[in-house]
Amino acid sequence: MAPRIQTGRVSNTILPYLSSSSSSSSSFSPLCPSSQSLSRQFSATAASQTKLRRQMFEWLNTEGAAYKHHIPNETNYLKGPRDFEGGPAKPFPNNKNFISESVLSEDLRNKVYELVVHQKKSIRAVSVQLGIDMRRVGAVVRLVELERRQQAQGKPMAKPYARAVHEMIPVTQLADPNERQTYHEPINDLPAHPTTGAQIFYPVPESRSFTRVDAGRVFSAAPAVEHSRKDELAHPSDLADIVFEKPGSIEWVGKGDNARQVLQPADVRIPHPQLVQLDRDRAAFPTERRAVGERHAQRLERQEKNEEKLREKARSLREDSIKHVEPEGGRFDFRIKEAVFSEQTVGQDGRAPWAPGRRYGVPTNDRKRGTVKIPTRVEA
Amino acid sequence: MRNRASNTLSKGKIRQSWSKYNLYNLQRFRSPGTAHRTFFQQKWTAKALSRAYHGEQVREGQWKRMFSKRIRSVVPMNTADLAADDGSEMAAGRGSGLNKDVKSPSMPRLVPYTNMAFAPLERRLDVAIFRALFASSARQARQFVIHGAVTVNGQKMRHPSYLLNPGDLFQVDPDRVMFATGAPKTKFERRETRQLKSKAAAEAEEAEVEADAEAEKSESAEKKENTKETLKALMAQAKTIMSKDKDVLAAKRKQELRGFQKAVRRVLSRSSTSTILTDSLEAQFSELTLMLNAKKAEKKPKENKKKSKEQTEAAEESEVAAASEESEVQASDKLSEAFQNASEGKNVDTSELSEEEFETLRRALTQMRDNPIDSSKPYATPWRPRDYMSAFAFIPRYLEVNQNICAAVYLRHPVARPGSAEVPTPFGETIATPAYGWYLRRRW
Repeated sequence: MAPRIQTGRVSNTILPYLSSSSSSSSSFSPLCPSSQSLSRQFSATAASQTKLRRQMFEWLNTEGAAYKHHIPNETNYLKGPRDFEGGPAKPFPNNKNFISESVLSEDLRNKVYELVVHQKKSIRAVSVQLGIDMRRVGAVVRLVELERRQQAQGKPMAKPYARAVHEMIPVTQLADPNERQTYHEPINDLPAHPTTGAQIFYPVPESRSFTRVDAGRVFSAAPAVEHSRKDELAHPSDLADIVFEKPGSIEWVGKGDNARQVLQPADVRIPHPQLVQLDRDRAAFPTERRAVGERHAQRLERQEKNEEKLREKARSLREDSIKHVEPEGGRFDFRIKEAVFSEQTVGQDGRAPWAPGRRYGVPTNDRKRGTVKIPTRVEA
Repeated sequence: MRNRASNTLSKGKIRQSWSKYNLYNLQRFRSPGTAHRTFFQQKWTAKALSRAYHGEQVREGQWKRMFSKRIRSVVPMNTADLAADDGSEMAAGRGSGLNKDVKSPSMPRLVPYTNMAFAPLERRLDVAIFRALFASSARQARQFVIHGAVTVNGQKMRHPSYLLNPGDLFQVDPDRVMFATGAPKTKFERRETRQLKSKAAAEAEEAEVEADAEAEKSESAEKKENTKETLKALMAQAKTIMSKDKDVLAAKRKQELRGFQKAVRRVLSRSSTSTILTDSLEAQFSELTLMLNAKKAEKKPKENKKKSKEQTEAAEESEVAAASEESEVQASDKLSEAFQNASEGKNVDTSELSEEEFETLRRALTQMRDNPIDSSKPYATPWRPRDYMSAFAFIPRYLEVNQNICAAVYLRHPVARPGSAEVPTPFGETIATPAYGWYLRRRW
């Protein structure tokens, strides 16, 4: 809806940076309200502006004028009555708990891409080096890859838009080569597990040391660890090594649908458990920096190898279960999966909705009334 | 779905929109008082206010099915703290450590759980597009999806209610984003567009008639065309574009910019390599200077060149063709002078260009390429952000956005952490908590 206001009220917004002409803007200068009311003295028609609209435009022309255009490399959010200068940028004056967080600068994104794609560094290592979440590192690589591909294809880009947005919001810049990179975000976030929501009263003898491992077992209602096994663990972070070597070694509790893995200590569940071990080594051998560094590198390498092995295993399992059939001279590659008829795959009566094959007399899901047809996932 | 969500001033509801009405409403919003109101009334008001902002395009029943009382949260861990002990000290004594004073932090920051009440809505595709700053309102984002301008993982997605999964990459057509976030055309610009369109149509008709007759002639004529003429035109135009003279009107400047664009293309198309038009800016620039017989003053060291590049970028960033500086006026004068001399054949001494002049030419070229004047676009050109955009510009951490290609990745679900919640909501705890409480109870 076009604003129902006289043109006289609109300040000169026509290309403010192309025409910086002061001469032309004088003709557009807003009328003062008093002169307007004077012109309506003998008019019986109601004013086209309500009180609320008048107040709004008054605010927009006075205080609100500051928000009209941005100041490059500064945030320009609404200022509340009690806001003070400095501190994190808060876009909503009423919500002090929402912070406008910084985004990666273009240089930093390119640096991430360079490190991962050209220098073949692992995502884990890049994440620790630049202080960027591992998922974000992966996303950045994907996006930069896409950007370069589109650039090569000559597709249109939104360069002026990108520049404007980066001027408006806080940005984490790439540090100079000889300076320390400021961390973009906390990289060791521990997700709060739902089972830890309960308050449990668990009496423990004072003589017994009750560690994070024990706390996890209590939360998941697993029996306490025997003393003999407990002595093997000097520190909860030693569990991280074991879990990385054999992910299947995590105990299970409960039966049937209630079966769940025992809650692991924070040392295992954080995204970078190797950093805890590095810190332990540093505290134990404060003088042997090089040896500590080497040990850390070895640990990382071992970990990456393990991850790669697991990935490979999963891939081969998937591949083995699929039979490829390529008819000669045909265009298609048929991938045939063996249908397994068990209670898990086809349900108790063999007609579960997720069971393979068509069932006589049962409409397919996309024909049924009341079922949601909106896709729940899109394969990348 | 009809848009019933207007930015009325009388109701003063806050919407997911960048309009100035919304900014005004946001600015004057005060949390409703609790005195003389029942708890039910407080919750009702809180729910109504927050639902006007969070997913007003979603039916209430639909949202109630999405609501989850479980709120995701994380605690940033300090690895040094984890390495220092195994947690047994904290459990010693009566279960909270033997000496309390040592470890207890002075002010534990609270986790604002209830500010996350509407977190499930942030998974929606239309809301995520709005949060990534690709649309000026959630309604507009929804329209982009329905009109087929959005892809998810490379496939067109036409459902605004598609719930993004962690790792999903969504992309919006850059032209739509520029339209949504750019300043709109004025009525003068719209008229200009119409005129140009009708003119182009008329020319096309004429061309069809004359095409057969002139097909043979045109090639030879183009070769013979005097280079001097084009160069002269080029200089004059470059001068006007870059001049900061206040007397030159916007329309005039724009015309000149368009002419300059044409002229540069004409000059470049005459060069030996045909690919130069599509090549990089640097290549175009060097080719252009070569064609114009312009030389850079050789006295300048190379450092200056780098410096000038940086300056150019800075100038690009600010998108300024206006901020008046007298030195630049002089620079552009010199540039045009140099062009004049070059065109007249005295290319030995006089066509030496200073750094500033080179910069001016380069900037004109850069703007021409990156942010051209193009009346066929639905937004005001050259592009500039729409008014009041900066007050609403923020990108939450659960998205990773690449603005150049208008693509973003939904990294993870939004989480709360000590001191901050990732769901962008204009309401404080006094509204978030009763609204969350409203949905905790099942009423249907």
